[in-house]
Amino acid sequence: MDATVLFSHGSLLCGAGEALLAHAERLRRRGISPIVAVGYLNYSDPPFLQTVGECVERGATRILVTPYFLVPGYFVKVDLPKTVAEAQAKFPEVEFVVAEAIGFDERLADALIESAREAVGPAGWRQDLRRASQFCRPDAKCPLYGTPNCPKQPMPVECEQNQ
Amino acid sequence: MMKVLEKKTALLVMVHGSPRPIANADMHRVTEVVRERGVYDLVEAGFMECNEPTIPDAIDSCIAQGADEVIAVPFFLHTGTHVADDLPTLIEEAMRRHPDVKFRMGDYLGRSERLTDILSDRTIAAETGASS
Repeated sequence: MDATVLFSHGSLLCGAGEALLAHAERLRRRGISPIVAVGYLNYSDPPFLQTVGECVERGATRILVTPYFLVPGYFVKVDLPKTVAEAQAKFPEVEFVVAEAIGFDERLADALIESAREAVGPAGWRQDLRRASQFCRPDAKCPLYGTPNCPKQPMPVECEQNQ
Repeated sequence: MMKVLEKKTALLVMVHGSPRPIANADMHRVTEVVRERGVYDLVEAGFMECNEPTIPDAIDSCIAQGADEVIAVPFFLHTGTHVADDLPTLIEEAMRRHPDVKFRMGDYLGRSERLTDILSDRTIAAETGASS
């Protein structure tokens, strides 16, 4: 059984994974493979290795690793193979197939033009910062931690319950 | 001196930048495609870090070329602190330098369903390659 794992960098900002989770959800609905999950290199949960473990537990025998990176740079060329090698060592019976990074695609031009058509004035520019507090996690490194934009701090316990 | 009366809209592609300039090659190709589509009078890329022009310089350049409206779109996959905070700050600073220019900002690239299509294609290509 196949699992697709979107491999992403991760971020300190709460809620930074929102777009990635939306892609995963769409790929799931489109039925690209029986399992679609995300795994991170840094900062965000779950780390890639944990995601792979969960996929294997659910019966995956082949993991399609799709980098959520624009550029096949250091993370994709060095960190990703290293991370996949770790996973391969831990799950020797599982086959890993790594896809290409996004790179050039004419549809990125469509995305830019469509985004520009929906562009908004200054009042809408910090929506993501405000929305990020909905995804609050007890992380002192989050740029929102302890700011008015993070109303759940200093209540890290409540944050955990909201996970 | 002749005054430029024609109204121009500029699309500013806001890019993170990379210590390896080659990393921007695909982004430049994408920007070139946008330019060829002819939807905007001006299409410029500006960088947060490492590469030139900087975002403020790219904005000033658009305005020097006659733009009275600048639409900025983040060429970013995630809403990290750059998209959520740093980029709006750069545009707000530009607004103060150019009070007569209209500024708008679009959603970051990662929010587009087009990305889902691309990810799907990359996954299927890898799967097909591995199975054949």
